[in-house]
Amino acid sequence: MMNISLRLRRPPWMVDSNGRRMTSHFQWLSLTFILLYLMNQVNSEKRGAPRDLKCITNNLRVWDCSWKAPSAAGHGTVYEICIENRSHSCYQSEKTNTKIPALLPGDHEITINRLYDFGNPISKFTLNEKNVSLIPDTPEILNLSADFSTSTIHLKWNDRGSVFPHQLTVIWEIKILRKENMEIVKLITHNTTVNGKDTVHHWSWTSDMPLECAIHSVGIRCYVDDPHFSGRKEWSDWSPLKNISWSPDSQTKVFPQDKVILVGSDITFCCVTQEKVLSAQIGQTNCPLIHLDGENVAIKIHNISVSANSGTNVVFTTEDNIFGTVIFVGYPPDIPQKVNCETYDLKEIVCTWNPGRPTALVGPRNTSYTLFEFSGKYVRFKRVEAPTNESYQLFFQMRPNQEIYNFTLSARNPLGRSESTILINITEKVYPRIPTSIKVKDINSTAVMLSWHLPGNFAKIKLLCQIEINKTNSVQELRNVTIKGVENSSYLVAVDKLNPYTIYTFRIRCSTETFWKWSKWSNEKKYLTTEAIPSKGPDTWREWSSDGKNLIIYWKPLPINEANGKILSYNVSCSLDEETQSLSEIPDPQHKAELQLDKNDYIISVVAKNSVGSSPPSKIASMEIPNDDLKVEQAVGMGNGILLTWNYDPNMTCDYVIKWCNSSRSEPCLMDWKKVPSNSTEAVIESDQFRPGVRYSFFLYGCRNEGYQLLRSIIGYIEELAPIVAPNFTVEDTSADSILVKWEDIPVEELRGFLRGYLFYFEKGERDTSKIRGLESGRSDIKVKNITDLSQKTLRIADLQGKTSYHLVLRAYTDGGMGPEKSMFVVTKENSVGLIIAILIPVAVAVIVGVVTSILCYRKREWIKETFYPDIPNPENCKALQFQKSVCEGNSALKTLEMNPCTPNNVEVLETRSAVPKIEDTEIISPIAERPEESSDAEAENHVVVSYCPPVIEEETPNPGADEAGGASQVVYIDIQSMYQPQAKPEEEQENDPVGGAGYKPQMHLPVTSTVDDLAAEDDLDKAAGYRPQANVNTWNLVSPDSPRSTDSNSEIVSFGSPCSINSRQFLIPPKDEDSPKSSGGGWSFTNFFQNKPND
Amino acid sequence: MPSARGEQGSEGLEAGVWVPATPGSGKGAARAGESRALVSEDPQADSSISPLPHLEAKIHQTHSLARLLTKYAEQLLQEYVQHQGDPFGLPGFSPPRLPVAGLSAPAPGHAGLPAAERLQLDAGALSALPPLLDVVRRHQAELNPRALRLLRRLEDAARQARALGAAVEAVLAALGAETRGPRPEPAVAAAAAAAAATDAGVFPAKVLGLRVCGLYREWVSRTEGDLGQLVPGGPA
Repeated sequence: MMNISLRLRRPPWMVDSNGRRMTSHFQWLSLTFILLYLMNQVNSEKRGAPRDLKCITNNLRVWDCSWKAPSAAGHGTVYEICIENRSHSCYQSEKTNTKIPALLPGDHEITINRLYDFGNPISKFTLNEKNVSLIPDTPEILNLSADFSTSTIHLKWNDRGSVFPHQLTVIWEIKILRKENMEIVKLITHNTTVNGKDTVHHWSWTSDMPLECAIHSVGIRCYVDDPHFSGRKEWSDWSPLKNISWSPDSQTKVFPQDKVILVGSDITFCCVTQEKVLSAQIGQTNCPLIHLDGENVAIKIHNISVSANSGTNVVFTTEDNIFGTVIFVGYPPDIPQKVNCETYDLKEIVCTWNPGRPTALVGPRNTSYTLFEFSGKYVRFKRVEAPTNESYQLFFQMRPNQEIYNFTLSARNPLGRSESTILINITEKVYPRIPTSIKVKDINSTAVMLSWHLPGNFAKIKLLCQIEINKTNSVQELRNVTIKGVENSSYLVAVDKLNPYTIYTFRIRCSTETFWKWSKWSNEKKYLTTEAIPSKGPDTWREWSSDGKNLIIYWKPLPINEANGKILSYNVSCSLDEETQSLSEIPDPQHKAELQLDKNDYIISVVAKNSVGSSPPSKIASMEIPNDDLKVEQAVGMGNGILLTWNYDPNMTCDYVIKWCNSSRSEPCLMDWKKVPSNSTEAVIESDQFRPGVRYSFFLYGCRNEGYQLLRSIIGYIEELAPIVAPNFTVEDTSADSILVKWEDIPVEELRGFLRGYLFYFEKGERDTSKIRGLESGRSDIKVKNITDLSQKTLRIADLQGKTSYHLVLRAYTDGGMGPEKSMFVVTKENSVGLIIAILIPVAVAVIVGVVTSILCYRKREWIKETFYPDIPNPENCKALQFQKSVCEGNSALKTLEMNPCTPNNVEVLETRSAVPKIEDTEIISPIAERPEESSDAEAENHVVVSYCPPVIEEETPNPGADEAGGASQVVYIDIQSMYQPQAKPEEEQENDPVGGAGYKPQMHLPVTSTVDDLAAEDDLDKAAGYRPQANVNTWNLVSPDSPRSTDSNSEIVSFGSPCSINSRQFLIPPKDEDSPKSSGGGWSFTNFFQNKPND
Repeated sequence: MPSARGEQGSEGLEAGVWVPATPGSGKGAARAGESRALVSEDPQADSSISPLPHLEAKIHQTHSLARLLTKYAEQLLQEYVQHQGDPFGLPGFSPPRLPVAGLSAPAPGHAGLPAAERLQLDAGALSALPPLLDVVRRHQAELNPRALRLLRRLEDAARQARALGAAVEAVLAALGAETRGPRPEPAVAAAAAAAAATDAGVFPAKVLGLRVCGLYREWVSRTEGDLGQLVPGGPA
């Protein structure tokens, strides 16, 4: 049963390793085995023979078989064990076990009998390898050590492989126990192979808890996995445990101490102490305590975060003290990035790199770098506390005759290492240092020798250097030179094609022919090249003085690139017919000379001199080649210059000259000149002196045999501007419908451009009420005349209204814009034709009416006489009408009642034909015509006096009102300007009119001037207070077509009443006679006439 | 954690202050090594002047120096704590006041001692502090190599302690009391002990540094108090 149980206790891995294919065999074998066992048991029991043969092996070479002795067997029994199916080999043993060589697979009959005990039966067993158990010997730990700093246990044991007959696999199981209560914290298996010899195996294990925190024990056992062995294979026994313990001193400690771990790790801290720990914290975070043996405690931190430079503090607090440790949490070094190796001088290689991700570890925990070269040489990076992400660099001394370098840069810190490699040909990675000690030496005026120092040993390579040449107001020039490297670091290069007497600034940088990097630019070196003779003569021009006696020679200073030095003086000479005469030497900076010459054609020469020599002469003829065909042209520039063009003339053999001056300047006119090649046909004239709005004169000269001929004369502007003044204009003539305006030219200085025309605006408007506003806004009431004929200086504006104020505006314009405006208000004269027409028409009408009326009256005179003027009895016979003179002059009221023997002196009957038209004329008299002096003349002719006064009254003063009326009976033509609309008098005046209020009133009252009338009325007030007509004058049919109230008007009454006899007390002209000619124009006025005219 | 505070006044004492006219003034600074010479030469150089005003001036000046250094010592302690990480600087974190080899804390009965004896104790402690501060600085240079201000303050503090100690001894000499003179042995021993403590681990070294900075503050403050009692018009 033991065998069975052992087989059934085979470890699960055995089953797994054999596979499922063994399952059916296993069942069959088990049944067979059980049957055999039971049979053997029965036989043994019957005979009292050895029984329960059991064999095991620990090395596969020898089987250790044991059996149970029968109860009868005593001490000293010797057993003989024979293996039958071999060559009958038998073994004797005094014990109940014996070792036999391992048998071949298959059944073997084993007999065991007790020697010398013949009564007992022989026990027979059938032994098969399958019945044998393979149980290795218990392994022994050779050594168990611990590295407390890393919390690592190192285990060492011997596999005793020599005992096994052949190579096979051994499985080791190791268990780690912790604390005194032997908690299994780790159980691992470890496979090895034994190959017939003893081998010592090592195994290490790192604890998650510092080994100092608790006792750690280690045990080991093994299992031999021989696939050829068909018997049972069992684990060996566990080896005796071995302990790792830390003997604490008296001082309390916290573990691990100052450890460096990776960010995100899990870590356990413990405090080994004799005191009771109250709390534990990491940083400012409290942690739950894990109790270990004794008072020792631990805390476990998961996923720890990165530390500050000074680490993360872990603190355990006891009753009276605190204990702590510092943990440094960071990263392993990143792969060095941007590794670059180059040399400055081919003596030393400098490798730079970027550390990449920060490790968060500083000080002694910082990353250390080592630069290895393939040859085995290496340099270490000395620890510096460089700021994060700053480049690191290492210097490596070059080896002689080695150009190819294979570098490996290794980075290492407590958390790991990384590396980066680079392979370079150092001759292609030369980054020269800054060239220094730049020196310049003269070769000649156009070449210098440039030397500099470039540290390094470049003897084996060629250098490519770049020389930057700068000169004032010139484009920078770069020249590349390839020079062979030297050992002494001194280099020399000639720089030619320079300009004499020019300040140059040199600077140099170098690289190698196999370009890698330019060095930095050296410092600048300024140098002035030496002088040379001036390369050209000065640019020369000449002008005759205004009096034509002196020739003024002008020349321009030579530009620095032609002067080739400092010009000291100019030599002026003139020649005539091969005879040259040096006139004077003009020191610089004078640039003109005045020569008194006759009108011969001299050739003037000007030579510039510097310290080295004289320039070639510049020659110019003193006289001009005449040109009669010349006219002044106009041109406008482009804002900064002006373009002049001309036709190509092959006769012109030397340069054209364009001179220009300000037009308003006095002679000689020269501001500047410019020479252009003879093959040119255009030139752009530019000058800083040009100003917009200023008129310049340009003269183009052609040149033949050093003689100049004026080809064109041009006036122009660089840029036209608007005039700054308005043209002065005056009104020359004014009529009723037109105005004649005349203006003056604007001075050229104020015109500021070519005059293109005038704009004349006019509109109706008074000075105070009308203003031209928004002339350009297109107002319909403003009329504009654009005068582009510049010769026109006058303008007549027609179709105006008479007696109207007009606002006139005149402004000039150029292509630069509109000038300011000048305005004026003008009033047109009165329309005289209209006035005449207005007068003539009513007069004609009145004449016609008068003639017709006269004719009618003449033809009907008898009827009229009978009707209106019947024979009147002789009043002389009537005493009642005899009025006393005194009485007549007394109270009129009394006179009417008294029948005085006042006899009318006479009665005149108006029968003359001319009287009527005269009266008619009065109707169109202007009521305001105050011409009293004229009225006296007309009175005699026109006034028809109807007097009712008795003869005694002949002495009385004639009624002034009548005089006035007679005076007013004229048509007076007055100036329109002084004409006013007649104004009706207020009614109050009429009511207060003393004439109307008392005394005698004739039935026909002619208009009189109110003032005179008033005075006369006052004077005659008492005189007139005599007779009054009984009829109310208001009821008279007074005809005044335009003035219905004319009957009330004291001064404007124009009446055609019928004379009434005061005796008959009736109207002399009956009311029915309304068909008689009436006034046809009393209310007509010139003003109305004009007002009716359209306002255009 | 870097400090956001300014470094007021520290520069003025970089090489040790001998006679600052007013707190915070850096003018008139002299090298620490020179200050001792000034102390010894002053009585002879100014022998024509009455020694009493001279003594008063010296006491006053030394008191002013101590007062200034008390402020700096407080700033140093704050700066130090800030760079050690939590729980340093947290309220309630108070490591035990472990004894520092070669340097004792001011005794509770210190105030009851005679003035000269108090000053002698002050001078002794101040002479022991510089090597300890140097040890702390060296440790911090490895632990916080980028905390330049802390390192400079520690360096300054060593010089300043030396200067103040020399000044106190000068006062003692002026008072006629016996000066113990330079005592290199205890200082060296203290430094060696401190260095050993730092080797025990980073955390003990941090605690030691905290303790040294605290002792520096205590002794400078105590010296200020002791000198204040000698200043005319000060507490008796």
